[in-house]
Amino acid sequence: MKVQPLGTDGSLLASLPWTLGALGFALAPHLPYLPMWITVASLGCAIWRYRIEKRRGMLPSRWVRGGLALACFLGVLVTYSSVSGVGPGSALLAIMASLKLLETRRRRDQFVLLFISIFLVMSSLLREQYLWSLLYLLAGTLLILTAWLRMSAGENESARQSFMTGSRLMLYAAPLAIAMWVFFPRIATPFWAVPIDTSRATSGLSDTMSPGDISSLSMSNEVAFRVRFKSEIPEPRDRYWRGLVLTSFNGRTWTGSEPGIAAPASEQITVRGEPVSYEVTLEPTRQHWVFALDMPMSWTLDKTFMGPQQQLSRALPIDQRIAYEVDSYLDYKIEAELPALFRDRYTKVPNNNQRAAELARQMRSSTGSDGAYIEAVLAKFHNEEYYYTLEPPPLGSSPVDRFLFDTRRGFCEHYASAFAFLMRSAGIPSRVVLGYQGGEINPLGGHLIVRQSDAHAWTEVWLPDLGWYRVDPTAAVAPERIDYGTLDVAFDGIGASWGFAAPSKLLHNLSLTLDALSAKWNDWILGYGPDTQNKFMEWLGMQNPDWRKMMLTMITIVIVLIGAISGLLMLRNRKPVKDRAAILYQRFIKLTGMQPHTGETAADFAHRVALANVLESRSVNAIVTAYLDARYGPADDATLLRLKNAVTAIG
Amino acid sequence: MSSIQWPFPSPAGVLNSLRNGVALRVRRWARKRQGIDKTTTKLRPGRVYILPTGVGLVFALMAFAMLLGSMNYNNNLSFILTFILIGIGFVSMHQCQRNLVGLELSFAGTDSVFAGQSMQFRIAITNQSKSARYGIRLFSDSEHSDAHDLQPGESKIFTLPVATQQRGWVSLDRFGIRTLFPFELFRAWAWLHMDLRGLAFPSPAEQPPEPPPTTVAHGHRQHDARGEEDFAGLRKYNEGDSPRHVAWKAFARSGQLFSKQFAGADTSSQWFDFSEIPVADVEVRLSILTSWVVTADRTLEDYGLRIPGKEFEPAHGDAHRRQCLEALALFDKDPS
Repeated sequence: MKVQPLGTDGSLLASLPWTLGALGFALAPHLPYLPMWITVASLGCAIWRYRIEKRRGMLPSRWVRGGLALACFLGVLVTYSSVSGVGPGSALLAIMASLKLLETRRRRDQFVLLFISIFLVMSSLLREQYLWSLLYLLAGTLLILTAWLRMSAGENESARQSFMTGSRLMLYAAPLAIAMWVFFPRIATPFWAVPIDTSRATSGLSDTMSPGDISSLSMSNEVAFRVRFKSEIPEPRDRYWRGLVLTSFNGRTWTGSEPGIAAPASEQITVRGEPVSYEVTLEPTRQHWVFALDMPMSWTLDKTFMGPQQQLSRALPIDQRIAYEVDSYLDYKIEAELPALFRDRYTKVPNNNQRAAELARQMRSSTGSDGAYIEAVLAKFHNEEYYYTLEPPPLGSSPVDRFLFDTRRGFCEHYASAFAFLMRSAGIPSRVVLGYQGGEINPLGGHLIVRQSDAHAWTEVWLPDLGWYRVDPTAAVAPERIDYGTLDVAFDGIGASWGFAAPSKLLHNLSLTLDALSAKWNDWILGYGPDTQNKFMEWLGMQNPDWRKMMLTMITIVIVLIGAISGLLMLRNRKPVKDRAAILYQRFIKLTGMQPHTGETAADFAHRVALANVLESRSVNAIVTAYLDARYGPADDATLLRLKNAVTAIG
Repeated sequence: MSSIQWPFPSPAGVLNSLRNGVALRVRRWARKRQGIDKTTTKLRPGRVYILPTGVGLVFALMAFAMLLGSMNYNNNLSFILTFILIGIGFVSMHQCQRNLVGLELSFAGTDSVFAGQSMQFRIAITNQSKSARYGIRLFSDSEHSDAHDLQPGESKIFTLPVATQQRGWVSLDRFGIRTLFPFELFRAWAWLHMDLRGLAFPSPAEQPPEPPPTTVAHGHRQHDARGEEDFAGLRKYNEGDSPRHVAWKAFARSGQLFSKQFAGADTSSQWFDFSEIPVADVEVRLSILTSWVVTADRTLEDYGLRIPGKEFEPAHGDAHRRQCLEALALFDKDPS
């Protein structure tokens, strides 16, 4: 078979840069998630294709393209070791678009490219939705529409005109889009579940804890969740957001092994006082943990259960931002009785931290009770030279020993781990709780922001009569961490050492403003789901809203709006242009004193006028030529002026 | 090996004949519904038809897929994107139809051609509205014109080629105007039945026999100082004579139109006679006569034409040429 190389003729030169621009814009948000070689390949293809068009060169042959496609497909397979899912999916889409460029010769190929661009924009929205995502999608759509119009634009049409036409049509489409968006019935359950993306590590909590392995704590300012309290906001020292509970320690790593379920966990809790009611808007974590203030008693999230250690978890991973309401009690008591079997599990320690175990036995024997022992350990952390630092030195194979006796520097994980170890070694059941502590009140939105940097680890010890009782050893070392949060600690540190606390505060205030906007955005736009929609429909006055009523309303509004748009377009059509040439010609007809017959052309009429000898034939000729030029030639002012002069000459 | 004829029509053939049948029916229906159009017709909304294009169908499919995706992920931003695109679809449907409505089409003549050449039908399209019109195209069953934009108030001549096979009237019973603007999602079109026609002259014979000999008459050359030719007399006004040569004074006196005749140049003239060509076939004779007329016209010699029922005295000029060629084109045909 003979393979024909494909020639280009430069006919796409006007529209190709726009198509490339639209494609690039659509691809941009994917690039951080894609392996570097795809970015390079896409850029290479775009430049290559543009140069071919500019030189009217040949497109690469089918074999070259086929080889490239195969290589890229294998590349994806090697990089992801899979071709399904959003990550490899968008990688393939990016590659398809780039390779499609190399065979784009006709307008049909360009359509395919623009459609791929639309899909790329959409899949980037599936991945992340920020405040600016709306701007991004609007700009992307406008760019794609402009590129689309450029494809069929006439030679005289400027890019600006195409852009204006695109904007105008998008403006017409906007009310339709808004009406459909508001009234299109939202459903709660998805048709199918596809993992969104796991390729970029998120700074959420991990399922295990190994103090000393990671030598610095993430200071990510990313929001973990936002909380809107319906009652008074608890004090910082009471804001412990329970996440997961770690129960086993192998000497290095704490893991959350389950010691079996004795009874439904929530039945083991007794509470006192008034509940704290609040709504949490949780950012996607791709994990199962659901965060709530110690101690949650009721929640509105579906498929969410309380585990044996009173941790909330959801059956489905949290792939999207979700909101749920919780009632928590600050005054609670868990598991007054602890079966002997569990007591063993919660006091089990490996024997690779001998010095620490020895210290525990000594201290316990020199104190009279468990309570006194706990006090003594906390006092040791408080009084001796232990420091709170976000960048502690790494610990070796006996992390507890090394931390307690040598380095003496660490953050919450180190203290929680060491404390729980000391408790267990002295026979007191203990466990580590991971979650968030504190959070910052946004004065603009009135809500609480809990960031990834607020991640915290604390311990719970079991004492007869008291049950599981929260002890936060970090508070003994760095009480300000508990009272003011990590961020303030960090800010003070930076401010003190660099002397620009003020600008940092300014920036911080700016970020609070953005956060307030973001929270509103999340509540009203991103969080517009079945419940919010129902509420909104009721607010609009719809009785018992259901999907039929919403559909009907949507269709009615869309039909009315389309009618309005059609009317608007008709109005633009109807307005006749004041044809100056025609007006001048009418004046000429009046001057002749004759009347053109129906269907008589201007030239024929002029002939008749000339024959009738009422006017000088030369001026008649001049008028008719100028008139015909003005009507059928390029409508410029010079011809009109010529016509005007000719008519005034006889009048 | 002999092939056995498949006894049933092929599916593609059936589909094709079905499509042609439907097209014919639709065509008859449209013609009956709209009647014959005047040579200047303004497009009313009722006669502009619209259907989605292939691109439009793919676009609809894509929008539907995006809607399902948005519902599945309950993603409000992708809902926004989807609904904007659906909105764009609705808007472009109306914009597409409105892009044609209100345009005024008027027949602006044809250039006469020789049979075998393609005849350019000129249609002037005027946009009298305040909004520009984009990507307007004329089309017939087999051909289409270039696409042009029309700015507000602008008028442009569109040419639609029609193939000619034989001499005589070439008619264009119907043609269409169409647009794909803005996004090629929809095709809006209107049929016009103006019953236009143009004349195709016989195609000139490629190797005609030598024309009959020329007779030369010497004119009396009397140049005046400015080198202008002498006024020779008046003759009855013929259509096509230059208005500059019309004798207005004579017209004022008598009410009759006369053209001034000028003398001075040598005139050589020849007669082309249908009956003297030794070829039996009428069409071939007409072709030969045509090629003689064309050649003689180029050499600026006077020539006369004699065909059964018609005779043109030797003369030359565009009007004369046209008269002769028209007579040849319509020989033995209904002249109306």
